Amino acid sequence: MAHKRRIGVYICHCGGNISDHVNVKEVAEALLDEPGVEISRTHMFNCSDASQQEMVDEIKEENLDGLVIASCSPKLHLFTFRAMAERAGLNPYQYVHVNLREQCSWAHTGDKVGATEKGINLTRAGVAKCALTHPLTAIRIETQPRVLVVGAGVAGMRAAISLAGMGLSVFIVERGNEPGGWASQAGRMGPDDRYGPEVVANLLAQIRNHENIILYTSAELTAKSGHIGDFTATVRLRGEEDVSLNVGAIVVTTGFTPYEPEDGEYGWGKPGVVTLKDFRQMLEAGDGPLTYNGIPVRDVGFIYCVGSRQTKGDTCPEPNTYCSRFCCMATAFSASLLHEFEKESGQTINQYHLYRDVRTYGHLEAVYTNARADGALFLRWDPKEPPRVEQSNGRLAIKVKDTLLGDEELELGVDLVVLATGMTARKNDTLNNVLKIPESKDGFYNEIHIKLRPVETAIDGVFIAGTAQGPKNLAESVASALAAVVKTGGLLKKGYVNLEPLIAEIDTDKCVWCNECLKACPYGAIERVLCGDKEVAMVIDSSCKGEGACVPVCPQDAIDIEGFRDNQIMAMIDASLKELVAA
Amino acid sequence: MTLNTDTCPVDRNVINLKLDRNPLDYDVMIVGAGVAGMETAASMGDMGYRVLLVEKNASIGGRAILLSKVFPTLDCASCIVTPKMASVSHHPNVQIMTYSEVDGIVRKADGSFAVDLHRKAAYVDFDACTGCGKCEQICTVTVPDEFNYDLVTRRVAHIPFPQAVPKKAIIDRRGEAPCTFTCPANVKASGYISLVRAGRYREAFNLHLENAPLVGSLARACYAPCESDCTRGEKEGTVHIRGIKRFMADRYYAEHPEPEYGPVENQLGTRIAIIGSGPAGLSAAFYLAREGHQVTIFEAEKEAGGMLRTAIPAYRLPKGVVDRDIKNVTALGVKIRTGHRITSLPDLKQQGFNAILISTGAADEHGLDIEGRDLDGVMGCMQFLHEVNVGEMPDLENKTVMVIGGGNSAMDPARAAIRIGAGKVHVIINYRRGRKEMPAHDWEVVGAEEEGVELMLMSAPTRFIGRDGKLVAVECISMELGEPDESGRRRPMPIEGSEKVIPIDMAILSIGLLPSTAHFPAEMKNSKGLLIADPQTLQTPDPDIFASGDCVTAPTMMINAIAQGRRAAFYIDRRLKGESLNVPFDCVLEKADKNVVLEEADHFVERQPVPQRMLSLEERRKTFECYEQVMTEAEARQEAQRCMNCGECAQCMECVSVCAPQCIDFTQKPISRSINVGTVVMSTGYGILDPATKQLLGYGRFSDVISGPQMDRLLAPTRPYNGVLRPSDGKEPESIAIILCVGSRDRTVCNPLCCRIGCMYSMKHAQLAMGALPMAEVTIYTIDVRAFGKGYDEFYEQSKAMGIQFVKGKVARIEQLSNGNLALHYEDQLGEGGKRTREHDLVVLTVGFLPNTDAFSLYKGGELAAGNSGYVCEVDPISEPARTNVDGLFAAGTAIGVMDIPDTVLHSGAAAAQAAVYLERTRGR
Repeated sequence: MAHKRRIGVYICHCGGNISDHVNVKEVAEALLDEPGVEISRTHMFNCSDASQQEMVDEIKEENLDGLVIASCSPKLHLFTFRAMAERAGLNPYQYVHVNLREQCSWAHTGDKVGATEKGINLTRAGVAKCALTHPLTAIRIETQPRVLVVGAGVAGMRAAISLAGMGLSVFIVERGNEPGGWASQAGRMGPDDRYGPEVVANLLAQIRNHENIILYTSAELTAKSGHIGDFTATVRLRGEEDVSLNVGAIVVTTGFTPYEPEDGEYGWGKPGVVTLKDFRQMLEAGDGPLTYNGIPVRDVGFIYCVGSRQTKGDTCPEPNTYCSRFCCMATAFSASLLHEFEKESGQTINQYHLYRDVRTYGHLEAVYTNARADGALFLRWDPKEPPRVEQSNGRLAIKVKDTLLGDEELELGVDLVVLATGMTARKNDTLNNVLKIPESKDGFYNEIHIKLRPVETAIDGVFIAGTAQGPKNLAESVASALAAVVKTGGLLKKGYVNLEPLIAEIDTDKCVWCNECLKACPYGAIERVLCGDKEVAMVIDSSCKGEGACVPVCPQDAIDIEGFRDNQIMAMIDASLKELVAA
Repeated sequence: MTLNTDTCPVDRNVINLKLDRNPLDYDVMIVGAGVAGMETAASMGDMGYRVLLVEKNASIGGRAILLSKVFPTLDCASCIVTPKMASVSHHPNVQIMTYSEVDGIVRKADGSFAVDLHRKAAYVDFDACTGCGKCEQICTVTVPDEFNYDLVTRRVAHIPFPQAVPKKAIIDRRGEAPCTFTCPANVKASGYISLVRAGRYREAFNLHLENAPLVGSLARACYAPCESDCTRGEKEGTVHIRGIKRFMADRYYAEHPEPEYGPVENQLGTRIAIIGSGPAGLSAAFYLAREGHQVTIFEAEKEAGGMLRTAIPAYRLPKGVVDRDIKNVTALGVKIRTGHRITSLPDLKQQGFNAILISTGAADEHGLDIEGRDLDGVMGCMQFLHEVNVGEMPDLENKTVMVIGGGNSAMDPARAAIRIGAGKVHVIINYRRGRKEMPAHDWEVVGAEEEGVELMLMSAPTRFIGRDGKLVAVECISMELGEPDESGRRRPMPIEGSEKVIPIDMAILSIGLLPSTAHFPAEMKNSKGLLIADPQTLQTPDPDIFASGDCVTAPTMMINAIAQGRRAAFYIDRRLKGESLNVPFDCVLEKADKNVVLEEADHFVERQPVPQRMLSLEERRKTFECYEQVMTEAEARQEAQRCMNCGECAQCMECVSVCAPQCIDFTQKPISRSINVGTVVMSTGYGILDPATKQLLGYGRFSDVISGPQMDRLLAPTRPYNGVLRPSDGKEPESIAIILCVGSRDRTVCNPLCCRIGCMYSMKHAQLAMGALPMAEVTIYTIDVRAFGKGYDEFYEQSKAMGIQFVKGKVARIEQLSNGNLALHYEDQLGEGGKRTREHDLVVLTVGFLPNTDAFSLYKGGELAAGNSGYVCEVDPISEPARTNVDGLFAAGTAIGVMDIPDTVLHSGAAAAQAAVYLERTRGR
């Protein structure tokens, strides 16, 4: 080594999250003995502004050239401390993060001695790695001021309008024949009684007026290449013609699929058992009395939570455990529409609402209140004994135990059973293959962090919004769409983006070009080049993700990943086993 | 402190907005730096807009940073919020103004907004403060800690909470404490009281010296106007401030027979003559000598002290105390030339004095122009008291003494006469009006009467009757009260024919004092003989001559003379240093509003006054010993506990003494600015319903009924008790009840809305409580369980699986049982049903939320529309989230209705997108 490193080690209490289970003081003291460590101390919160300022001052005063932060997961604060290192004049890639919380304190509650020992070893490994770091510079990429929006529902259309309003060019790709998504079929929508087709028409008019928006219908995204800030997207139009679009970012607003009940689920398949959407179309169809199969409807039973809040069982091996969020409001709103219909038509219709919990949250509570005032009778059932729908005397009968009436079993004779079906993740294998956005266990697209980075995905430059990431009502969908707009704007309005320099590097002396690395690379980030008169592999910096698939397959051992070099990993292992080796 | 709004650091990729319209100080102003404000600011900054983020509190972070953990992932709140705090505070495009308030926003014709705002006075220079927290450690005043929802107290000088950004101290000052405000010398009574309370007597004494050097004399003989304005007087009775001071002064003088200091190091060549060594002259000398001037006091009497020595009887002010007080002055090098009467100012000037201060007092007496006034036995009160104090005691045994007058100066000779006669003397106070018209302090009159002084009211002497030139009797006439005179008091009128003759041996006239200005030329005086001086600077028409004290103001209290002396010293010093006299003297805030103090005083327990111990009446009548006995240390500290800290900060100055960067500045004023911004985002957040509104649930009556936000603090990493403990007795609760929908979905408190986050945060409380207290049972009383977000219903299922009990039923009423536990009366809506009662030992009320109506008052350019529920109205939530009725003014996050953090973050993104598009529309290329 050219010179002795000067490393600062900062152990975080995490307000007790770590220090309740790890003796952080002991860790800090033990680390003082490590080679190169100049400072080793603890903070209540390393991430707090005051602690950061102290560290910045110490890095400057002590002229540190290495930094080890031992705190929470780097998923939370990697960028926080990189920025701090930069403020202190330290190259951010000479900072190493040790996860003492998820990988130590939380995993070993109740064993403070053991956890402390592990904490020391983990941090030693971090110091050993840090000692072998060297300054790196981020890879700067020019960004393209164009955006691809996938899905022309209300969320996608609304996002496109704001993106264009911010001066970016927008392409919208819609798989269906018409834009508008579910809202165009929704009719009157709660809680503010907006007419879906009108909302859609309004947005469409704005899109048509915008010279910066191009809307493709009957179009599908079939391929994507490039990287954040500079993607090439291939869009197949009407199944025949391909267009290639160069965009800086992609916003995915592909929406949801309504839950399709299983045969027999709450009588599904029996005449008179319909979804809420079907019922609303019947109600709003207009002419004359509300009938089913020609018979006037006198009683309607609404069953809530169909396809939502499911528990695993024989009939339901893959349950939708989540709440679909919008259905209580939509169903309760339908109660008022039905009541309005009664008043206008003179037809008397009794309505029974069979619910588990009425989740008309926040302002939506008014919808529930109105429904009760409008004659809707609410009956509460327990998921252990869900309502059963049977045919009886040419009508339907719902048998339900009302938990609010001492579990009394009621039999409600109805003409219609309306199922408030929830939202499910849209199945679109083509798109999923192209975009590779990770999914949550519900099948909806997963954001990086629901509170910190709620519209960003693991794929840099690809954003998600609306019900593609989980159930939402329309207002919430649009808000998330605009949140994605802002993140897109933050990326593209700057004109450039910095990429991680933690990528593969090829030792051209060792490389003999065998093609193994290119075969292993999921990103196609290797190309064959001539080096003198020798063919070698070269890494395409902007495409390489540094995930390391090429490293183990190289027969010549010619590849290293910056930040995870073999010598660093070996040093970490040695350091963490130091006492074992010594003994 | 500078307010750096002229230049905002801007990164090189800022969008070039058109400049042909009103120039903008910032592209966007965001009001409120909670989660929504921070998120909007960071998003706007990332897009290259110049952002001003205004926060009224001293730290950004909003309510979320105070949370324990966040649902449904149970990440700690710090992990979620500190990255956002750090990202905005270090963002090159974001300028943060904390502790600042927007005063008004108006939309202009070009679509931009004119904004008036101010940074509040924190009394700390933020640029210099390092956030070391030393001021907080030493601060002597505690108040309820709002950041712990009043579960514990914090100091008045404080850093809001450990993760505060910026980490700077602020000092709360509601105003000047009434005692300090009322004191003519602005002696910081609240300050030395808080120091006595903390046991720091020496510091208390030294603090007093800053405003008045004659601490011992004031402690004995001040009429204590502070006590008459004490807020505690509205409750159990005024704090005995002078009694506390007496303890403090006596203790200090007992420990320090000599001052701890000598002349100041930096001695100046300037010489100042002060005429008169009364309280005004001594005080002026003290402050001038502390500045390094050479001060000589000329005193006509044989000993220094003026009225303190010659007029105030020793039972009120022992002469040893006066001597010790004077040492405070002379220790600084002040020379006092006694027995030296000054009769010529020009002579004095010729001796080379650079400035002269006249403080000769008002000891000349009003005569009484009636027959027999020259008889032997008729004398003025000053003459009588002079003899008593520094001459020979007259023989009054078995004599009758009549004191004529009803003011304080009549009480002194009367009560002195009683003591001289050792009880064998008949003392009459003869006053021409009634008891309630007497100008003397009531307690003086009561004391005099107790000691045996006879009051002869509605009576005036008409002539003194003598024999052989010696007084033997007085003829008095009865009076009645007529029409009010120019002073507003009813004029006494003699009743014809009511004369009667009373045999007396001595008559003491206490009917008024005149300024002692006989030696000074007429052009220096007004018609009343008072010296003419500028009321602000006390400079006379001769710029080198100043005048202070009773010879300027007419006779008044000692503390007034001291105040005048310090004031004169301040301006003399400035004149001698060649500085402008056109500056204000003390920097005093407005008087703190007693009503506000009393309203916020719910947390003050009742504290009865510590009784003043007195000598027995028998002893009082015989001896000149002080009749008031000094408080013990315990009594003084107990009495000091009664102070209500009306001004919040007591100005004890301890923080100043420990602040290494010297960043505390009590003269700091708010700084106002007017700026122009392109668009505005209101992220003003929400309010919390007062749980006491639901009276039957017992919040505020039973200390183990706490609110949801308080429970969050009990569970937070920076928790106040370092554990989940019952507030009443510190016991770990074994059976916790959490009641949902307290003041939500509830028409009785006019809040029909669902609070939207209560179910989830209560389940979080339940899960965390079970983690912290593995043996505890947790029961949640619900209407519905609304777990609707991503991962929320799974959290509900997990809660049930952990053993948390859910009861569907409304709790009607809570009572306290004799064992201290709480009985919940509720309706069980499931199972058997019916009314039930269950016992718990800690109850958490999951309270509803309220709109923060600040947003409406900030917008002055018309009306910012509110929705039915009082939150800012989104005119079209489906297509235009965050847009309000005012074009270009947006609302982000909970300003439009309470929502959880994920929804807030998304909504804030929407607000940022709307604001960006608006800027492009109104300002874009």
